Amino acid sequence: MNAIPVLTIDDVATLDGVLADFLKKAEAELTVVIDRGGNVISQYGDMTVMDVTIIAALAAGSFAATRELARRIGEIEFNALYHQGNGSHIFMNSVDEETIMITVFGPRTTVGLVRFYSTGTAQQVALLLKALQKANHGFTFEASDISAAPIFTDSEPTPTTPS
Amino acid sequence: MSIINYASREIQFKIVYYGPALCGKTTNLGYIHQRISPQNRGDLVSLATAADRTLFFDFLPLNAVVIKGFVTKFQLYTVPGQVIYNATRQLVLRSVDGIVFVADSQWEKMEENVESFKNLEDNLAKQNMSLEDIPYVLQYNKRDLPNIAPVNYLEYVLNNRKKRVQSFEVVSSTGQNVFATLNAVSQTLLHKFSKQSDSNRGSAPGAQTPRQTQGVVA
Repeated sequence: MNAIPVLTIDDVATLDGVLADFLKKAEAELTVVIDRGGNVISQYGDMTVMDVTIIAALAAGSFAATRELARRIGEIEFNALYHQGNGSHIFMNSVDEETIMITVFGPRTTVGLVRFYSTGTAQQVALLLKALQKANHGFTFEASDISAAPIFTDSEPTPTTPS
Repeated sequence: MSIINYASREIQFKIVYYGPALCGKTTNLGYIHQRISPQNRGDLVSLATAADRTLFFDFLPLNAVVIKGFVTKFQLYTVPGQVIYNATRQLVLRSVDGIVFVADSQWEKMEENVESFKNLEDNLAKQNMSLEDIPYVLQYNKRDLPNIAPVNYLEYVLNNRKKRVQSFEVVSSTGQNVFATLNAVSQTLLHKFSKQSDSNRGSAPGAQTPRQTQGVVA
């Protein structure tokens, strides 16, 4: 099956609703739902202060990297990870086998509050994503929809005389 | 796995640069980051050792408009090439949509190239994927060095599967054919998801199966 999984406008609105409610209650700045490969599924909150794509890639890596550490103490993986900074912190928790939720928060709240509300939110998000999989939306496009021109261009001429 | 978001009209794809240690994977991303228009890219993130060896991965997000009405986000990753970091390579391969296999053209690196290619196949198999399903291209790097194997030999060693793929002669340090490789893998994976490809799997008219290697333009 070569169709791309789809989040419809309604799906995104529903997810956004759940995430907005979580941010309000936890008083956090930003929350991002990602797959374990580092792709952003949904995001909500103040996205102007950081590149969410990079946060997602690094968080997926960080989460995966601790899996082996968890195994050493008899766990399959850590359900949650907390990175504490001086003013800003990151809390990550597992949503399901394929998905992670990242929350960025500052001094307005505490890790306890974020942890408390994120558990319920993760369960809600997991249910939503499961329903999406069952709905089995898939997106394909015509080959003619793909631009024939080179997708990326070298913005300066390539040097012709290698040293 | 790619995903499409209709609300933000975005599609995301993950491309991984794979290959043996010191073959030039990070150099590819560095060149792309340097030369691509800043509004179409994010920061290049490198998780490297003090000696600039890739420890976890390098990451470069790119944006383009290639499918009508959608912003297409390509996320480029490299893997650490050193043999001992296999667990890390498996993590980076998770949800991959397209692969660039970077081979070092020097004769003395041939064994490492073959070993790395086999390692790629093994790691994909562990995630129930295979090179039959994942779009990929080959890059024969370091073509400016004196002690290099001829392209025919590299083709025989690395591009001798049932499904032959596009291959490129590259000098990643100067950028020659770096963008050609990136464009080829991007186009190949986009065509994989197009309707023609979906309805005609196995004999896709849009499928990219050229046999000639794209040479270095002097």
